[in-house]
Formats: sequence, structure tokens, C-alpha cells
Amino acid sequence: MSEIYPAPDPDNEIEGESEEIDLVTAVNRTLHQEMEREASVRMIGYDIGPIGGVFRATQGLLEEYGEERVIDTPLAENGILGTAVGMAMAGERVVPEIQFMGFSYPAFGQFMYAMAKMYDRTAGSIELPMTLRMAYGGGVKALEYHQESTETYYAHTPGVRVVCPSTPYQAKGLLAASIRDDDPVVFLEPKRIYRGGSQEVPTEEYTLPLDEARLVREGEDVTVLTWGAMVRHAVAASDAVDADVEIVDMRSLAPLDVETVLESVKKTGRCVVLHEARRSLGLGAELSALVNEYALDRLKAPVKRATGYDVHFPGHDIEDDYLPDAERAQYAIEAVMNYEF
Amino acid sequence: MVEWTEHEPPEGQYQVLDAEGALDGDPPAFEEDELVGMYRTMVATRTLEEKMLKMQQSGEASLVARSRGEEATPLGCAAALAPDDWVFYTYRQNPALLYWDYPMDNLIAGSIGAEPETIEEELGPVEAGVNFSPDYTPVGVNTTNAVGMAMADKFNDRDTVSMAFIGDGSTSEGAFHDAMNFAGVFEPPVVIVCQNNQWAISEPSHRQTGSETFAQKGEAYGVPHERVDGNDIFAVREKAEEAVERARNGDGPTFIECVTYRMEEHNTSDNPDVYRDPEEQREKWEDRDPLDRYETYLREEEILDDDLAEEIAAELDEEVSEAVEAARGVPDSEPERMFDHHLHGDSWAQAHQRTELEREQSGKNPFTDFTGEGFDE
Repeated sequence: MSEIYPAPDPDNEIEGESEEIDLVTAVNRTLHQEMEREASVRMIGYDIGPIGGVFRATQGLLEEYGEERVIDTPLAENGILGTAVGMAMAGERVVPEIQFMGFSYPAFGQFMYAMAKMYDRTAGSIELPMTLRMAYGGGVKALEYHQESTETYYAHTPGVRVVCPSTPYQAKGLLAASIRDDDPVVFLEPKRIYRGGSQEVPTEEYTLPLDEARLVREGEDVTVLTWGAMVRHAVAASDAVDADVEIVDMRSLAPLDVETVLESVKKTGRCVVLHEARRSLGLGAELSALVNEYALDRLKAPVKRATGYDVHFPGHDIEDDYLPDAERAQYAIEAVMNYEF
Repeated sequence: MVEWTEHEPPEGQYQVLDAEGALDGDPPAFEEDELVGMYRTMVATRTLEEKMLKMQQSGEASLVARSRGEEATPLGCAAALAPDDWVFYTYRQNPALLYWDYPMDNLIAGSIGAEPETIEEELGPVEAGVNFSPDYTPVGVNTTNAVGMAMADKFNDRDTVSMAFIGDGSTSEGAFHDAMNFAGVFEPPVVIVCQNNQWAISEPSHRQTGSETFAQKGEAYGVPHERVDGNDIFAVREKAEEAVERARNGDGPTFIECVTYRMEEHNTSDNPDVYRDPEEQREKWEDRDPLDRYETYLREEEILDDDLAEEIAAELDEEVSEAVEAARGVPDSEPERMFDHHLHGDSWAQAHQRTELEREQSGKNPFTDFTGEGFDE
């Protein structure tokens, strides 16, 4: 069950020219497009220059836009984020890159003190139009702190959007929207599916709405709430179970699209949250709480969370045992389907 | 050899006015208006801060941090700037704010604790001679932001200068080192001023570093650095002007250590008698008070006399009283203001929680929505 299935994208009705690209290429295309479109867009981070980022997400940007717009920095996450805040205060539209989400903790000071707080602190007079890009998530047999998904730390903070694409089409539209947004955005790139499947994506620029979840598949029996690399597992699981599954790709982890969540769960009466982050106090806890608070009398079963465990991300040999996959999702779906009050 | 200056005022630093207020270098080339203006700013700071101290003691203001004894540093540095420049400050730079006509009523209102939205609505937007960032409470954070803004200015060929103020304690924070390193690498037009007042709350300078001076930290980052008598307004201003000029000419950053002394508590929640000897403090540092020294000079030069000093004092008493009254006129913030300015637009959670708060405020139960679609009455 560990095979990665392509996720369908009902939003993707392409008119005009398109190309078949993977997610990291979609990110790269978008960065090119946004830098071309708007002179104030600058990238800042390390390894983003000549090598084009360790995942090649920034490939070709330095050559095209020069070292004052693609700023290769010392290895200092707090410095990257802090100077990005200063540039944004000066009116630039800055796209800092933190190479791996697990490297972002030194930058947490700037994230909390400046990036998330400046707009509130100045009664709205200073805006920070920044998009903090981070590769996140497991399943690529990497080293420690290269694999985890700790999006809850960011989503728990007021004053920022947290956005996560699940397909190349989503990546391009959501990243363009994030860069053009006047609020700070944390943009999480599920690196496991950076090259995990291609899809026809319009060559023209487009944006997708922030703050909105996406209905991946309609169903009547059970709602699966998920995002990022887990969307594909939800699709595979729903193909495998004897139930009509509705899949919601949250896309926006902060603010949450509560209306879509409640509408779906009230319709199906059952809910599974599928995420690869640790379970306790994760976003699954928040989603479960929302369903409990506002849709209890529609529930035919308790909400179940198919997630990673409350442990440090384990070593290579057992990471597949840690990570939720289609099988774990299927178990959760079957459990809530078979539950009787 | 390391000499810990928290007990012993240092010797051999750059000075124009000696400790007695006599010229110990080239006379400054300021017009009389400017000389009196700087004096006025120092007196204004003391008048304002003494008033705010009383407001704190009577329970009106929450916390007050005073600059007494170190006014020459923020004043001399900020006065070297020009309109359109930026100041990234913390909580001990009132002289910089007042020099550039930051409205006193706004400053006071902030310490009384109103939300920034409410203050702005009541007192109008802040208009000052240079741009001030919001004041930073967490130490060191402002340095990287100042460097980033200066980098953006450099990339855009603007000749704007960014100046950040930190204390000696901030040099222990990672952010300071990030900022200095980026400043050395990208050479942006930034001036980072370390107001070495010898104490980071109760921790003395020698707990912040094993270096002989704070200035020499610039060496490791390739950032030009200066060490100045921070209680000598002329020396501070001269070195700051050199740094600002260097930045404006495209020659990159400067790190300035201004050696001064925090005569009073860190802020009004602090009791320095527990960790330092007040007698020793008076004996060794009070003689070097920046205002006394400067006043002595101005009187020697016959720029200031009793009449003018009294006139200035009276004006400032009046100005501070009016500002206090204006600040008192700022109403308490409406509770729902806490939801303002987090993100553009309104999320479901934001709207829902605001309604919950409103219900709680009006004595209604905020927990009666069981569908997500609205509250039962």
C-alpha cells in the first residue's frame, strides 16, 4: 500500500497552453513568473544561488535576476528571516527559503517576534508581504530534522497564513497567491512529492484562493481531512475501502476553512483526519475539536486521527512504519464506518 | 587585559568633552540652535521620564524604563541621521524619539497600555522627523530587521540609513551575531549602536562577554567599529555622523559601542540595590553625567544661562503636562480590538471568537453554538 498514487485535481480545468510538470518544477516556474512579474520580489536563503537550491526549486533564478534579487546568505536561519522582515518593512516582497522545516527552529525568534507580530504591533501600518518557503515532511529517507512536519508550531501563531499544496497545479496557484498576499505566509512544500508525479499545469500565470479548502472527491459516508503528501494516500485508501469517501484537502492550515470542514462532516456524519505530523496537539486535534463542538449531533462515530506517533521522527529502517499511509487511512476509515453508538 | 567597566569608568575611549565638561578635543561645529536643541532634548527626556515614573508609582503606567545618565548616546547617534532614515529602537531611547519630535502623548499612552489602534485613533498617526520602527521588547531582534531594511535600501540604490540600538546584554543574543555577520557580508547602510550601560537587568558586562570591549566584536565580522565615551554628546555625535556618512556613501556598516552607565533601575519592576552598590555607583559614575557635563560646557561658552535654562524647564513642564493630559484622554481599548490587524480579511475562527467575546462581555453565554452556524439566544 506504500505506492504513491497521483491525486486528482478537480480545479484543474486547463484552457490554453499547458505543460506536464512535477511539484518542484511548478514551484520553480512560479518563482520565475513572480520575479518576472514584480521587481520587488526577492528570494533570500542559502544554497538558492548557483546550485538552485538543494531540491532545485530556485534553479535559474540567480542567472536571470542577479544576486541582489536572489540573495545567497550565510547559514543562519534567524538571520535569513530577520533580514527578510527588514526588507519587507522597506516595501520588498520577500520570499525567504528555509532549506528544511527542521532547520527553522533557530529562526523561530524572528518568526514570533517580528514576522507574525509586526502588523498587529503597528496597528496595521507596517505590512510584511513575505512568503516563507520550507520543504517539509518525511518519506525520503533523509537525516534527522530533515523529515518532520511541525506545521502546528506555525499554525498556532496568530498573524500568519500557513499554506500547503498537494499537487503541481495547487503548488503553482497557491504559491503565486501567497507571494502576492500582503500578509506573511508560511508555504510548506511536501518534498516527498516534489518529484512524485507530474500533471498538466497551465503555462500561464494563475492564482488559487488562500484560506479555502479543496474538495478532492465527493462522498456520502465519511470525510477524510488531510493535506500535503497525505492527499494521495487518502485517495488510494478511499479506492480500497467499501465506503463512499469524501476527501477534503485542507490546503490552508491557518486560517482553517471551517465552513467546508463542517459542511462535509455534517453531510457524511463521519470524520477521519489524516496527517503525518505527531498526533498530540497536532492539527488533527484542532479539527477533531471543531467537529465535536459544532457537529456532534450529526456524528455517527467519533472522529479518528490517522497520524504519525508522538515520537521523534525515526530512522530509515522504520520510517515507513511511523508514517501514515493509505493502509493506516483505510483502517481509520473502516473503524469509523463500523462504529455503532 | 580585560577591565570590567561596570565598576570602573574606562579610560582612553574617544572623548571630546572631558568628565568636567571642558573641551578635550576639537570644538564641535554646531549652530547655537542645535546646541540648545540637544540640551533641550536631554532635559525633555528627564522631565518626561520623571513624570512617567510618578505615573508608574501611582499605578497609572505599567512599567517605565528610564534613560537617566545615558541620554547622550541615543541622542547623539539619532541626531546624526537625516529625514527618511530609520531607527530600530528598544525601550531606552526616549532622547532619540524626542529629538525627532516623536509625540510625547503617544509615548505616554503606550506606557499606559492602550492598544496601538486605539492610540492612533485618538491621537492621530505618529509623525516624526525620521521613521521609527515599533519599539522592540525582545532584545537583539531589531538588529537583523535593521540590516534587512538597509540591504533593501542598498539593492534599490536608496541612500537611506538604518540605525539599530541595543544594549550590552543584546550582544549575547544570537540575533546580534546574525545581524553583524549579514552586515559584514552584504555591507548595507546600517549603523548598529551598542548602548553599553554596564547592566542587563542584574547581569553585569563581564557576564555578557569575555572580550575586552564590545566594540571589538565588529572585528570578527569585518564590520568597522568604534568605542566612544557614551556620556559625551560631542564624541557620540561625531562618531555617529562618521558612521552615517559612511553608510550613506555606500561604504557599508558600522558598529559603535557607546560606554555609558545605567544610573537607575532596568525598569520600575527592578531593584538594583540587590545586585549593585548604589554608593559605588554614585561615586564613580555620577561625575560623568552627560547632562551636567554638557550644561557646564554650554554655560562656559555662554550659550546657556540661568534664564534660558529656566525658560526651557518651564516650557518642558508645560509640554509634558499637556502630553500627559492628551494621553489620559485615550479611552480604554474596546475589548474586540484585540482581534484587529492579525491578517487581512476575517477567518471563520476570528469572526466566531469575536462574537464569543462580545457575548461574554454582554453577559450572554458564548458557548451555545452547536452547529457552527450561529448562537442560540
